[in-house]
Amino acid sequence: MSTAILSTPFQADFDANSQEFSLAGVIRPRSVDEIAPSISAFRSAIEEARGVLYINVKRLAQMNNTAFHAFSRVVLDACRTRSDIRFVVVTSSVVGWTERMFRHLGKIEPQITVEVYDSKFYPGQSFVEDTSFIPILRTQTKMTWRHERTILPRHGMRPGIVMADICCGIGDFAVLVRKEFQPARIVALDHSKASLAYARDVAANFGISDIEYTYGDASEMLLEDNQFDLVTCRHSLQIFNQRDLLLKELYRICKPGGRVYITNEKNSHCLGEPRAQSIQWTYDEVARLFSHFEMDVELGPKSRRYLADAGFDDILVESFMVTNHDGDPQDFADVITAWENVYAGEMAVKRGDPPEFIERFRQGFRDHIFAALHPKGYAGWPIWAASGRKPL
Amino acid sequence: MNAAQRQPVETKFEPLLQFEMEMGTFLSDWHHCDQLSTYVARMISHNRTDPVRHSNFFSSALNELLEVSFRGGSPEGRIGCAVYRQGPNERVKLSFPCPPGHRQFFQEAVARTHRNDAYARYLDAISTDLAPSREVILLDLAINFDASIRLEEDKPRSVTIVVDLPLEGIVS
Repeated sequence: MSTAILSTPFQADFDANSQEFSLAGVIRPRSVDEIAPSISAFRSAIEEARGVLYINVKRLAQMNNTAFHAFSRVVLDACRTRSDIRFVVVTSSVVGWTERMFRHLGKIEPQITVEVYDSKFYPGQSFVEDTSFIPILRTQTKMTWRHERTILPRHGMRPGIVMADICCGIGDFAVLVRKEFQPARIVALDHSKASLAYARDVAANFGISDIEYTYGDASEMLLEDNQFDLVTCRHSLQIFNQRDLLLKELYRICKPGGRVYITNEKNSHCLGEPRAQSIQWTYDEVARLFSHFEMDVELGPKSRRYLADAGFDDILVESFMVTNHDGDPQDFADVITAWENVYAGEMAVKRGDPPEFIERFRQGFRDHIFAALHPKGYAGWPIWAASGRKPL
Repeated sequence: MNAAQRQPVETKFEPLLQFEMEMGTFLSDWHHCDQLSTYVARMISHNRTDPVRHSNFFSSALNELLEVSFRGGSPEGRIGCAVYRQGPNERVKLSFPCPPGHRQFFQEAVARTHRNDAYARYLDAISTDLAPSREVILLDLAINFDASIRLEEDKPRSVTIVVDLPLEGIVS
């Protein structure tokens, strides 16, 4: 159910299957009458629920005191008449005031608990937010940038645009874009506070004050609709388990006529000579390993389908191969070493793989490094760059 | 103890932005509260550490103040809002005309935000009040936004609320 009474629409929905009542958007009514249908729906949801009712306010960007009191009264009244039901209010760590405001309800009624949804946005989050990964992320960006700086203008990058880099990581892509293309505004969002702190430090050291780094969940952003000429989201769709949700958000914040640019890998196409077979085996296993954690590092060539399904038109897809001949081969080798450490040293262990598997798994990475550093060797890492236009 | 006695030591706040409009115009549309708070928040937050989240937080607080002036203001005269900054703090100075007697009401409401039982009063209001009073909204700012609130001496039939918001520290 949505309401058109307020200038900014909000949503109040009840999912009976998950017993979850969700509030999203901006709710700033002058009087309770304006939100009466939503209050009524909330009462009905409580009547219908058994056991636990989840109240999801993760996507609630704004709520004034009039609305807060109205919804609070309903749940507090229910606590007094229904001893058989518990309420779990799920707030977001991104929208700080919701956590502060809703936590009081738990102080009034023990049947109400308030949880901050923070640490489990997607299954592979702990791996990709590992701070030991930061130096290698810089090297990866340095290697891909050699290609992307010529690719990006074909996908809508030009001076003076307003752009957002979603899942910006340590923010180095935003810094390179700023220097090369001089956009009018860059918002860079990520869910890793450690990465953002690093990004801000780097920006400060370079005297850069005009990149707006912001903490946020890419699948539920505080950014408003139709704001950006270009939205970039690099190497991230493949590690989200709710890819449709992420694309929906990228689409939402993009201006009509603007473009969303994504890059993704197809890990099983990583290659090297010599020792091609060992390398091939390991990267096939990388794809399976990520799949186990609900990530799809084979996504690259599927970009066209994802963008089309999300509603984009004028879709452009191209691929490029990062190789050991792009700059210093040691950089390439360093990246593979980092992959070995995380994929074989952490993820395979977490999956419960036996030592003999892990040893063979590691060998493929080592052979990839061997190929990268071999005087006559060739080592490659393929990436798909794609963009789609949000229809006017 | 009244609010004047609890005034913090004055530090230098730099002006960031201010607006004024005819109170009658302001009162003509409830959505002015939302629109003004969103716009002002976006403008003043652009160079904060996390501009998007700072703006969200600030808009929330400013909207409540504007709603207080909307509900309690009288149509003659002008509403003025100025935002200042000092380090991690923003100061909102909101002036608006109000009916006779309301100034006393605001003095009492502001004084209650400084009392030891402020949190108990706030919880009680959430539990029992049908709708939030202006007092509860000031308590909300003090409790949920760590705001320091005072009134400034002003012309008769108008009120100036000064709210210091340490949002940079909360957001980042």
